[in-house]
Amino acid sequence: MFSTKKTLVAATVASLFAGSAMAMSGGSDNSGAAGEKIDGKYAANFEQIIKDANGEYLDSKVIEAILGKDAAYGREGLAGKLDPANPYSFEVDDSIDGGNHGNAQCKVPLAFTEVHDSVKANYTNDSDFVARGFGTPIAESAVQAKWNITVDGDGRGLPDPSVGMTVEEGAKVYVQYCGMCHGEFGEGAKGYLPLAVEESLIASSFDEPAPMKTVGNYWPYAVTFFDYIRRTMPFWTPNAPYIGDAGYLGITGYIMQSNYIPLDAEGTELEDDTFYTSELLMKNNKFMKNQGNFFCDHRPVIHNARCMENCADEQVGDGKGNIHNYKQARLLPDGTPQYNVPQRMHEDPPGVGHAGM
Amino acid sequence: MTDKIVEKVAVQTEESRNQGRRAFLKGSAAVAGGVMFTKAASAAEGAGFDPKKAVAPYAGKEEITEVLQDGAARKSLGFGVRKYPYGMPSPFEKEVQRRTLEWLTPDSMASITMTPLQSLHGIITPNGLHFERFHGGVPTINPEEHRLVIHGLVERPLIFTMDDLKRFPSVSRIHFVECPANGAMEWKGVQLNSVQWTHGMMSCVEYTGVRLSDLLKEAGIKPEGKWLIPEGADAAALTRSIPMEIAMDDCFVAYAQNGEALRREQGYPIRLVVPGCEANMWIKYLRRIQVTDTPAQHREETSKYTELMPDGTAQRFSWYMEPNSVITYPSPDFKMEGPGKYYIRGLAWSGRGKVKHVDVSFDGGKNWKEAHFTSPVLDKAWTRFEVEWEWDGSEAFLMSRVTDETGYVQPPMPQMRQLEGTNNVYHRTAMVTWRVHAWENGKSGGMIENVQY
Repeated sequence: MFSTKKTLVAATVASLFAGSAMAMSGGSDNSGAAGEKIDGKYAANFEQIIKDANGEYLDSKVIEAILGKDAAYGREGLAGKLDPANPYSFEVDDSIDGGNHGNAQCKVPLAFTEVHDSVKANYTNDSDFVARGFGTPIAESAVQAKWNITVDGDGRGLPDPSVGMTVEEGAKVYVQYCGMCHGEFGEGAKGYLPLAVEESLIASSFDEPAPMKTVGNYWPYAVTFFDYIRRTMPFWTPNAPYIGDAGYLGITGYIMQSNYIPLDAEGTELEDDTFYTSELLMKNNKFMKNQGNFFCDHRPVIHNARCMENCADEQVGDGKGNIHNYKQARLLPDGTPQYNVPQRMHEDPPGVGHAGM
Repeated sequence: MTDKIVEKVAVQTEESRNQGRRAFLKGSAAVAGGVMFTKAASAAEGAGFDPKKAVAPYAGKEEITEVLQDGAARKSLGFGVRKYPYGMPSPFEKEVQRRTLEWLTPDSMASITMTPLQSLHGIITPNGLHFERFHGGVPTINPEEHRLVIHGLVERPLIFTMDDLKRFPSVSRIHFVECPANGAMEWKGVQLNSVQWTHGMMSCVEYTGVRLSDLLKEAGIKPEGKWLIPEGADAAALTRSIPMEIAMDDCFVAYAQNGEALRREQGYPIRLVVPGCEANMWIKYLRRIQVTDTPAQHREETSKYTELMPDGTAQRFSWYMEPNSVITYPSPDFKMEGPGKYYIRGLAWSGRGKVKHVDVSFDGGKNWKEAHFTSPVLDKAWTRFEVEWEWDGSEAFLMSRVTDETGYVQPPMPQMRQLEGTNNVYHRTAMVTWRVHAWENGKSGGMIENVQY
């Protein structure tokens, strides 16, 4: 079925947040039973239930009728949503590259019935369609030569394995064309994003700065990096012929080395004199540090009832019924708002408080 | 001008919507009116319109007696036709602009501006005020040289000129387009006192174009074709993976925006419209659609536009924008004008369909009053709401809450923070709170402040 690692993560999440999430939903009595109900026990007639509710598939009562009363709330509902059989799940029951990335696809949930009805009308059941002939046929080869530079998560579209350069040569190309904005060692510069920063993705409190997300600690695929830099970098002259596929591979090798991305399960690292090619890139691709930690859209696990008067404390003010317990924008001594001060002082990279627009 | 037209449409739509009810009321009113007329004529009880009541609120106001003078506009001729072959707003509206925060991005080519929602009326964003988001600057593309290619897992790869596209049956629809980072600066608390900053990474315009399903069917999707990888012709060559379900649902390739060609900032000559979904999927300067069997796992769907949760896991492919709403008047750009009657106005929208209810609270979420709609209620479009409020001059906490036609109810911020933590940049779609300072509060009396629970 679905990736064990992810289920484990979700279960941890569920237990961490169980108390508060259930308090929010008001269903705290049966928190222990949630795990049993979400294990594949969904109303088989969910389409009829949704139809009877005038298509309101995200109404809290409809969700309860389909998933069971305890299965759907808060972070706890996540564990259930990772099961592709759940009508509200975005997950797909497949694994594209042999499981290293877990489930690589997502889908529109089955419960989103109006979308599927529309697809049937516009496409699947449209047997009357007659082509109009307004376009012009074009050979696939005419597109492939220059326009199609896409490399996907499985490495389709990568250059021939004979093309490449050593990691050391790649570092030189990087320093020449990339270092001025991203730092010689990928540490970031001039407000542009760092490419190699060792940082935990978990902040210990809500008030701490959000973790920096870089190639090493966040990106799930190594090939994405090659596709992206060849597509868009250097910023002022993207897809530069003077760098070429060999140069882009060299830069990729240098950044993989800077992030200590291994080539195999034994942790073999890239050496300076390693000749980096698409073959090695595909090896790195299987050992990205954060690869198993992505899951499909879990929303909405929040599904509230529409309360009109004397609403419960959980829904009022600070979530405990106090409407005077609020945060304000603070002011600096000169009267300007105290927002994103490190960004404004040029101490942190620009960003929405978390580096990285 | 556009606003006026939209208002007119809104009134007409409201009228047609109420026609059934009105016809019924008309029947009963005719009888009542007849009775009233007889009564008034006989006994003058004042049951109908009472002129005294109408002027009563003016009783305490000082009368102006100074003679009104003609202004300069009355004393001289105005300017002639074609002074501005392409019309511009009045110079008195010069403060109504897209704006950015310099600390958000290191340069202006990969940056963003926000729409001044506090100054807009109705549901249409004028083209010049549409928010901007570029990843590699704005190209100026000659439409005669621009082409769209559909290839990959298709029966017959096709290339289209812009004229070819305009020969296809057209579709015109009003949709909102929202960057999923809208509101991103406020995950950890408030910092910005304007609705332009808190919600301005979105706009709502009328698009005209050709259905994507028509174009895809024209090329003939092979059975294994499950995903699209649309790509832009600009320096960013932006790509996103779009599942076939969404593509065949209601996407289209737009060449026009509010009745004229797309602006360069919005993708001239063509862009993809993916109603209800994250704006980064609406590929601008669209030049290529590759049909594939799997998603591409590109940068804008892995490194960016994925949402870091408090436990270190991350959500991806968060396509749909959740239902959301905001009060635009009064909002922090305004100041209350004293106790009395106010018509609270705002915008509500949902990436999953039509807005069904908007409720407004004046006491931080304890009690709610249902607002009515003053615009057409359209699928995946802004909907303008309004609700009457009698302000007694005391401190108040204004919030709006949308319920869409799928039954989803917009959550309060503490609940969303509980679920998603504060490290997530995207999809901050919980309610916001405007604190109205008490009228008797010294210098800040009547001030409207963005606060967060």
